[in-house]
This record gives sequence, C-alpha cells and structure tokens, in this order.
Amino acid sequence: MRLDFTTPQRQSVTGIIIMFADTFQSIVRAMWVPLLLILFKLKEDQYLVVGLGFFGLVLLTLVIGYLKYRNFTFFLDEEKQEFVLSKGVINKSKISIQLSKIQQVDINQSIIQKIIGVYSLDIDTAGTDKKEISIRAIDQKLALLLKERLLDYGDKESEILDENQEIKSDTKTFLKISYNTLFKVGITSNYGRTIALLITFAITLYQSFKDAISTFEIDEKQVDTVFERGAGFFSAGILIFGLLVLVLLINIVRTFIKHFDFVMIKQKQSLVITAGLFAKKNTLLNPDKVQITSYSQNYFQKKFRILDMNMKQASSDEVKEQKKKSNAIEVPGCNTEERDEILKIILGKIPEKGAQYRSNFRYLIFRTFSAVAFLAAILTLLHYSEIGNMTIYIPLVFVYLCLISCLIYFGYKNHALYVNQDFIIKRHGAWDVEHEIIEPHKIQSITAKQYFWHKSSDVGHLILHTAAGDVDFRFGNFTHIKQLVNYWLYQVETSKENWM
Amino acid sequence: MEFTNETIDLNQLPKFEEVPFSSLNKNYIKVVYINIAIVLLIVAIGIGALIYFNEEFQDTQTYLFFGISYVVFALFLYFSSIIAVKRRAFAIREKDILYKRGILSTTTTIMPFNRIQHVAMHEGAFSRIYNLAQIQIFTAGGSTSDVKISGIEKEKAESIKEMLMQKIQNQI
Repeated sequence: MRLDFTTPQRQSVTGIIIMFADTFQSIVRAMWVPLLLILFKLKEDQYLVVGLGFFGLVLLTLVIGYLKYRNFTFFLDEEKQEFVLSKGVINKSKISIQLSKIQQVDINQSIIQKIIGVYSLDIDTAGTDKKEISIRAIDQKLALLLKERLLDYGDKESEILDENQEIKSDTKTFLKISYNTLFKVGITSNYGRTIALLITFAITLYQSFKDAISTFEIDEKQVDTVFERGAGFFSAGILIFGLLVLVLLINIVRTFIKHFDFVMIKQKQSLVITAGLFAKKNTLLNPDKVQITSYSQNYFQKKFRILDMNMKQASSDEVKEQKKKSNAIEVPGCNTEERDEILKIILGKIPEKGAQYRSNFRYLIFRTFSAVAFLAAILTLLHYSEIGNMTIYIPLVFVYLCLISCLIYFGYKNHALYVNQDFIIKRHGAWDVEHEIIEPHKIQSITAKQYFWHKSSDVGHLILHTAAGDVDFRFGNFTHIKQLVNYWLYQVETSKENWM
Repeated sequence: MEFTNETIDLNQLPKFEEVPFSSLNKNYIKVVYINIAIVLLIVAIGIGALIYFNEEFQDTQTYLFFGISYVVFALFLYFSSIIAVKRRAFAIREKDILYKRGILSTTTTIMPFNRIQHVAMHEGAFSRIYNLAQIQIFTAGGSTSDVKISGIEKEKAESIKEMLMQKIQNQI
C-alpha cells in the first residue's frame, strides 16, 4: 500500500466485502416488502425456484459489489488542493472538494468493518449529507494519514484551540434569568404546540379507551353516548378551562426544567450559556457562527415586557431533518435592553428596520383557501368515518372559522420584510410575532419564484437560503423582489466577510 | 449610508432576470423519454401483477378503470416532462451561477461562487449514451438550495466543474 494520495487509488481489497454488504443491505431495504410477500405466499413446490432466485440475487450483489469496488477511486490533487472521489457502476459520480472547505473528517467502524479490520472515513463539508463523501473501507494507518493530510490545509484545529483558551480567560456574567421571569415565560409561550400535543394525546387516549372497552365486549354504543354527553355544550366550558390550566402547568414545568438557572456569560468574543434543572447544559455561542437571529413576542409577553430570543447556527442537513431546533440557542424572557445588548454582541450593532416590503392581498386569499380546504377535508373524513352526529360539530366549525380568520388577518398584518444596507429583517406570525434577522453576507443562495398566474399582477415569492435554514417572503411585489435579489447578490459577491 | 441612497443603485446593478439563459442539450429529452418509459413499464408490471393475483379485479370495469388511469398518468407524465425540460435553463455569470426551472412557476436559484462548497458530476447510464452529464452544486444552504443541472454535454460539464473549482480556490 502506497502512502501517497496523489494518484487515484482504490479502497482496501477487503473493501469488496463491504461493498457487497452495502449493496445487499440496500437491495434488501428496497425490496423487503415483495421479498416478505414471496416468502409468506410460498408453496412447497416453489422452493427450488425461489432458492435459485435468491442465489441469483446474491451472485448479482457480488458482481455489483466488485464493480463498485473497482470503480471507487479517490485521490488528492496537491496542485489544485482538491480531494477527488469517483464512484458508481451504472450511474457514475465524480465529486471534488476543496481541502479548505472540509470541516470534519470522521473515522468510524461498523460491526462488519470491525470483523474485516477496516475503517470508514467520512468527509464533512458545510453543504453535504454525510453519506455522499464516504470511503467505506480503508485501513487504519491510511485513514489516519489521509485525515491528517485532508485537515492539514485548513486551520480548523487551531480554531478549536482558540475557543478552549477563551473559556479559561476572564468572564463576566451578562444575563441572568430569574424564577419570576421563567414563570412569566411559562405562562405566555408555546400555546399552540402544547395544545396540539394535548389533542393528539387525547385522541390516542380516546382510541385506546375504546379499544380496551371493545375487547371487554361492552356495548360500544353506550360508551359513545357517554362520550357525546361528556362533550356536550355544558361540560365543554369546564373542559376548555381544564385544558387551559393543563397547558399552562405543562408549559411552566417545561420552561423551568429547560431554562432553570439560566446564565449567560460573555467571554471575549463569544457567549457561554448554562441552563437546565436536571442536566446542566453548557453551550458556547460564537457570534460569527450565528446565521439567523430572531426574537419573538406575543400579546401577553408584550404586557409582561419579555421576549424570547433564538440564535440559529449553521447545521448539517442531518441535523435539520432530525430535530429542527437542535442547533438553535434559545434565550427565554429577556427584556428589550437585554435583547439589544445580545444583538449588539452577535450582529455588531442594533439592527434597524429599513425599507418595508409588504405582501400582496393574494396572501389572504391563499391562506383562506387553504384553511377552508383543510376544514372541508376534515369534515369529509368525519362524515365517512361515521363518528356521531354531524350537527355537534357546528359550534366547533364556528369556533374554528373565528380563530382561523383572526390568525389569517393578523398573520397578514404582521407579514413584512425590512431591508437596509446591513440587515434583512422578516416579521411574521399571528400570535407570536417573530422578527428574523439575517445579515446579507450570511446568505448562501437566493431563489426567486413566480407562478404564471401571478405574472400579470407582478406577485412572486422569495427564498433566502442560509446555513441555518431558509427564510421566505411570500406574495411580495416581484419587481421589488428582483431588485432586492440583485442588491443582495451584489452584497454577497463583493463582501469580504466570511459567513462562518 | 441610509437605504434611500441605495435605491438608486438598485436599478444600476446587474439584473439576474435579464441574463441570457442557455437551455439543456436537445438530446436530454430522449434520456427523459427513456426514464418515463421505464417508470411506465414498472407501473404496468405492478398493475398487471395486482390484477393477476387478485381474482376480484378480473372484470371489465376494473380493466377500464386501470386502463384509463394508466393512459392519463402516462400522458400527464409525458407532457409535464416535456414542459419541465423545456423550461430548465442555466446561466453562468462572472460571479454566480443561475438555474431556472419550474412547470407552473418560474423558479430561479442564484448561487454566488463564493458560497459554493463543492461540486459533483454525475453520469447516468442513459445520459452516457448521449454523452450527457449532470452537475450538482452544493452550498451550506442545505438540500433545499442545492442545484442539480442535468443534460449538459459531458465536456462542457467537465469544464464548468473545473471552472467552479477554480473560482472556489481563488477565494481563499
């Protein structure tokens, strides 16, 4: 084995086995339904055919595995400072990565890899899912050497060291959140999410209760009427009151568990946050890494003079898919002065709202249409599932219509984009009014979109892609959107500032 | 410093909406036809198996139902693909790459070169028959913003990729 990566080379020879295992796994994963069906429907005289078929499948995977191994090469282009990886049997891919863009190199070992004695080497850049750039079979010595070579060019290691040193240096407490404030946060936030959670919980409870009763062979009709009586107008008031108390209680407890003893400390350039009742969580926040800063406030919070802040950092796709907010750092219940202080640290100055851009009234039409369509779908579903008498839903429909029209109206009223030279601020939300702040140089790419029926009315959509997710502005004036896009492109393309 | 000053500039900036776009290679539609044919074949086999193994489906009414839906599906696939391919186009400017697509909408994504993370080139089995390739461009914006441009001649794709990598390198 040469220790020179400048010429294209294959994986370890034992890699054939890994490739074979991978192929087999993906085939089984793609075809497990028909495979199971065949196995279950099998008659004795068909054993031979199925056995032969299975043998053929194994043979095929072996061949594919071998070809995959043959076609998988990687090399390091010293001159261009690139790592180039070619792979694929029928569909061929060639991926080139600038060494300076590599963020992380992971060396892992699965069970099969352990048996054979090879490792996998995954390369992570800010833009990829991990599976894309992965060498599946490489021996340890080579893997370590390659990792060293790959990371040699960047200065990632030193960056991490810097951060560690900063922790030890002088610190000063910057923000502390009292129990009083936490209580206020608890009773004012997250209504929507908690109610949705409770409803799903209630539905599952109702279902399992019904199932339990039907297994005990009690007359189902009786139970249904009990439920109907229970959901009558008189007890509905008590039910809603109880629900409200429950929502508040859950929220208070959750807020206390999550943000107990919230302390924010300023250390040179970064912020350190410690919080948590059972598990103390320690988070380091580097202002340069924050992509989207947002703060939100609802009517009650306005009265209490508190607001929630959120700092979203760059995250890989995997994180985005799994838990949406895992890379967001939350500051519950700070006041306006504290918010401004935090904004100053993260953005350099307090962002001012620039020129305002509003949505077209078509936003209202679209929202109303979707709300009505949703209602119609639910009602049809209820109608066909034959749950009770449809007339009992009339008051519910009325409540829904009142609520949704309020939500739509205020949502429209608050939907706006503010742009100035340094900041893009998007305001949105019907109840929790959120301001999302982006610095133009944090934009990764921009999408402008227009449906053909909006052409004559000059309406269109805008999506700003950042490393922490998308921010969109819908139903805006398309002429303005185009102007803004050109302006932001100009800013991104001339900016010397790093986005991370 | 204030925004009013910038508004004048806005109209003088290069306009992305006026850039001349180049469409995909003419042969690419053939690759799409082959793909549609394969999809339709698989669907046909699926329906055939469904009818063959379930005796309650073996009557004229069901045949008619499946037949009509199949034809509608095939026509829909055919015409929507033609429109989709026709409307896809890309352009390369000095400092960014633009990609336009959409059937009902016109969606333009613009990626500045200094935000591109890396580039991949894919060659499908059928694309190779017509010497075509696909370029995939990654930014840190995640999968919603990654751009895949299919149906470019292989040599051209190669040179675009080379050019993009060069641009990335020059920024450091």
